Amino acid sequence: MTSSIDLVPAAPATHRKPLCDDAGIETIWSRLSAYQTRLLAAFLIVVLAALVLPPLLFLLKASVLDAQRGEWSLVNFEVVLGSRRFLASSANSLVFAAGSAALALVIGWITAWIVERTNTPLKSLAYLTAIISLGTPYILYVTAWLLVFGKAGPVNQLYRALSGTSDVVINIYSMPGMIMVEGFLWSPLAFLLAGATLRNANPELEEAARVSGAGIWQTIRRVTLRLSLPSILALSMLVFIRAVEAFEVPALAGLPGRVSVLTTDIYSNMVARAPPDVGGASALSVLMLALVLVLLAIYGRLSRHADKFATVTGKGFQPRPFDLGRLRYAAAAMLVANFLLLLLVPVAMLTWVSLLPFYQPLSAAAFDLVTLANYRTVFSPDHVGLIVNTLLVATATATIAVALTFAAAWLSVRRAPCGWAVERLATVPLVFPGLVLGIAVMQLFLRLPIPLYGTLAILVWAFVINYLPYGMRYSASGMLQIHRELEESAEICGASAWTRLARIVAPLLAPALLAGWLFIFLMAARVLSLPILLAGPRSQTMAVTLFDLWSNGQGTELAALGLIWSALMAMIAAIFYGLARRSAAGALARA
Amino acid sequence: MARLRWGLRLPAAAVCAASLAGGCARAADAALIAAAQKEGEVVWYTTQIISQLVRPVSAAFEKKYGVKVRAARANSTEVSVKIINESRAGRPQSDVFDGTSTVVPLKKEGYVLKWLPDPAKAYPAQYKDPEGYWVANNLYFLAPGFNTRLVPRGSEPRTYQALLDPKWRGKMAWSTTATSSGGSGFIGTVLTEMGSESGMAYLRELAKQRIANVGSAAREVLDQVIAGEYSLALQIFNHHAVISGKKGAPVDWIKMEPVTGTLSVISVHKDAPHPNAAKLLVDFIISTEGQHIFRDAEYLPADPTVPPLTPALTPEGGKFRTRFFTPEQTEDAIAGWKKIYDDLFW
Repeated sequence: MTSSIDLVPAAPATHRKPLCDDAGIETIWSRLSAYQTRLLAAFLIVVLAALVLPPLLFLLKASVLDAQRGEWSLVNFEVVLGSRRFLASSANSLVFAAGSAALALVIGWITAWIVERTNTPLKSLAYLTAIISLGTPYILYVTAWLLVFGKAGPVNQLYRALSGTSDVVINIYSMPGMIMVEGFLWSPLAFLLAGATLRNANPELEEAARVSGAGIWQTIRRVTLRLSLPSILALSMLVFIRAVEAFEVPALAGLPGRVSVLTTDIYSNMVARAPPDVGGASALSVLMLALVLVLLAIYGRLSRHADKFATVTGKGFQPRPFDLGRLRYAAAAMLVANFLLLLLVPVAMLTWVSLLPFYQPLSAAAFDLVTLANYRTVFSPDHVGLIVNTLLVATATATIAVALTFAAAWLSVRRAPCGWAVERLATVPLVFPGLVLGIAVMQLFLRLPIPLYGTLAILVWAFVINYLPYGMRYSASGMLQIHRELEESAEICGASAWTRLARIVAPLLAPALLAGWLFIFLMAARVLSLPILLAGPRSQTMAVTLFDLWSNGQGTELAALGLIWSALMAMIAAIFYGLARRSAAGALARA
Repeated sequence: MARLRWGLRLPAAAVCAASLAGGCARAADAALIAAAQKEGEVVWYTTQIISQLVRPVSAAFEKKYGVKVRAARANSTEVSVKIINESRAGRPQSDVFDGTSTVVPLKKEGYVLKWLPDPAKAYPAQYKDPEGYWVANNLYFLAPGFNTRLVPRGSEPRTYQALLDPKWRGKMAWSTTATSSGGSGFIGTVLTEMGSESGMAYLRELAKQRIANVGSAAREVLDQVIAGEYSLALQIFNHHAVISGKKGAPVDWIKMEPVTGTLSVISVHKDAPHPNAAKLLVDFIISTEGQHIFRDAEYLPADPTVPPLTPALTPEGGKFRTRFFTPEQTEDAIAGWKKIYDDLFW
C-alpha cells in the first residue's frame, strides 16, 4: 500500500473491520499486560486531552465574551453575522476553495494518470516537480507566481508585446487568478495522492475493457474515472478544506483585487487595530470551525466509500501501461508544461529577482543592475539562527506527534480499552484551520501563568496539536498492515506490552513512522498560517520570516533567502520520497 | 568616537550643566553603558525598513557599545498588538519600539516608560511628548509616487482632483495597513483638508478608481510600482522614492499638496527585559551621531541640528504645504478612517 504518502486524514481505524476476527483475540486485553495497556491509555488520554481541549475551550470562551464589558454575550457573533462582509467573505471562501480543488485535481489527476498508466516518456519530471514542491514554503511559491503572472510579469509582458495593447491577459489579483495560484499550489500533492490511488487500483477491469475493444478515452471515461471517482471526490474534498483554510494566496493576491475570504478577515481582526479585536476574531473562528466540521463530515462519508473501493483492489500486480502512440508526445509535452509552470519558471523568476536591488521586469537594461548583494545580506548569523530554529521546531513537532500517535494508533487499531477515546482525541484537531488554532493557542497562553508565549515551545505545542491527525493517519494505516499474531506469540512467550511495542511493533512500523515524521517535518517547516500569530522575535520560523520580508518591502531578499531554504528542504523532501516509496514497496512485498 | 559624540551633543550637555552641578551626562552615560553591556542585547520592535535604516543604525550601535541589537519589523498597529499581547501574557519581549502611532494605545495600557533621553532636551517641543513618553526620531512626509517609465515626467497627476481622471483607474495602489502610510492615512488627510462633507464626496469618487489594496508596508507598494505592477502608489514615504531613485529605479514622488506629515517616535517598554540597553539605544538614536546615520540613510532627522541629505523632501526645502498629524491625533481618528476605508474601498 502506498498510503504512507497518503495524507488523507480520515479516521481510519475504528470503522474498518479488524484484520482478523478470531473470537479469542478480544481477550488479549484481559490478560497479563492489561494493566500496562490501561496505564498507557490513561496517560495518552490525559496528554491528548490537555493538548487538544484547552485551545478549543478558550476559543469558545473568547467568542462569547464581551471584552468591553467583561460579561458573557453573543455580541461578537451579532457583529460578525450582521456585517455584509461576512456573507461576501464566506461565499468567496467557498468559491475559492471549490475552484482551487477542481483545478488542483484536474492537473494532479491527469499528470498522475499519464505517469502511472501510460508509456509517456519524461515521467521523472513529474516526480521531480512534486518532490521539490513539498519542501517549498507556500509563501515563496505564491510570491513567485505573482511575479510571473503579475501585470508587469513576463506572461503579460509577452501578451502586450504580441498584441500591441497595454492590457493584461491574466489578472492575477482576482478570484480566477487566486484560484489559479492555489490550484497550482496543491496540484503536486494531488498528483502524489492520485498517483498512489491509481497505482493501487486493479487494472484488470481496464484491461478487460481494452480487450473488448474500448479505446483509450472510452476506457478512461467508463472504467478508470468511474473506479476512482470516490477517491477523486475524497481528494478534492481534502484540497477544498485546505483551500478554505488557506492564507497566503488570499493575503497576497486576494487583497489587492478586493476579494476577502474568512482567513484574511480573521487575520485583520487580530492585527489591524490595537488592542486587537479578539472577540470578533474568535467568533469568526468559531463560525469557520463549524464550516470545517460540516466539510469534514462530508469528507468522512466520501472517504469511507473510497476505502470500500480501494479494498476491492489489493492484489500485487504489474499494470500494463496504455500505449498512447503518437499522443504520448502530447502527454510528454504536458509533463514538461507542468514542470515549467510548477518548478522551472517560478524558480527562474525568483533567481532573477534575487539578483536585483529592486523588482524589474526582464530587460537588457535590468541586466546592468544584477548584483549578489541580496545573497551577501541573507548569509547572516541571524538567518543561520532562523534556519536552526525552524529545523528545531519541525524536528520537535514531528518527533512528539509521531511518538504520541504511534502509541495512540496502537491502542486504537488493537482495540484496547478506551482506544476509541484516544483516537477521537487525536483526530479532533482536524477542525482547526491553522490560523484559528494559532489564535486559540495564543488565547490559552495569554491566560495561563505558564511563560511559554514568545518561545519556540509554544510553536511546537501548536504544531503538535495541528499534526496529530496526520501522525495518526500514518501510524494507523501502517499498523493495520501488521498482523497481530506476531504480538500474540510474543505475549504468549511472556512479553509485556512495552516489550511488544518496542521490539515488534515499532521496528515493523518504522517505515510508516518515518514517512509520517518527514511529512509532518516538511509541513511544519513550510506553513505560515499557524505560526504567523504565535512567533516572537526569537521564535520565528522560515515561513514567517519570508512573509515578513514580503510585507516589509524586502522582496528581493525574500527571493534569495527563500531559494536557499528551498534547496535545503528539497533535499529533505527527496529523502522523504525515497523512504515513502521504499515503505510502499515493502508493504506491497508483504502483501 | 566618544569625543566626537561629546562635541556634537553640546546643546544637551549645556542644559545639563546649567541645571545641575556639571558633568552629570558623562557620569550617567558611563553607568548606563556598563549596565547595558552587562545586559548584552536590546530588542527593538520597529516600523522602520530593515534594509534601509535598521541595519546601519544597529551596526553603528553594536560597534560603538558592543551591545547586540535584535530588530523585528511590523507596521505601527501590528507592533502595538504584539506588545499588548506579550505584555498581557506577562512576557514582554521588546525593549524599545517605534512607529507613527504605536505608542498611543500602549500608553493607555500602561506599558510605556516615562523617560526621555538627554539629547531630547535640544529637540523642539512638538517633537516630543509633553508627558515624556516618546520622542521623535525622524519625520515622515507621505505623498504619491509614480513609475517614471510608465508615467512620463510631467504627465503625473499633481492634485487630488487629478487622481479622479479615469486614465488612472486600476493603476493605483496603496497599503491596507491601518496607519498613516495606508489607505486609512490618505483618507485622514483628505477629510482633514476638505472637511467631512466634500471630503466624503471626493472619496466616493476616488473609490470608483479601483485602487489596489496591497497587504504590506508602503515600501512594498512602492516596489511594486517600480516593478511596473501599478503606475501610481498613494501615501508612500517620499524619501523612499529618493532612495530607490538614487539606486537607478524608475521612480519619483509627487508634491501633491497637502502632503501628509507625521513623526516616527520612539519609546522604551516599561517592563523592558533589558532596561539599560533600551535607554542606551534610544539615547544613541536621538543623539546627533545617531541622527547622522538617519540622514546618511536618506531619512529626515528629527534633530534640528542635522540637516537632511535631500532638503527638497521637507516642507521648508521643497516648499510644499503639509497636513501634520501627531501620534495622538492619528490614533484618535484612525479607527474612523479605517471604517471609511473598509466601507468605500473594499
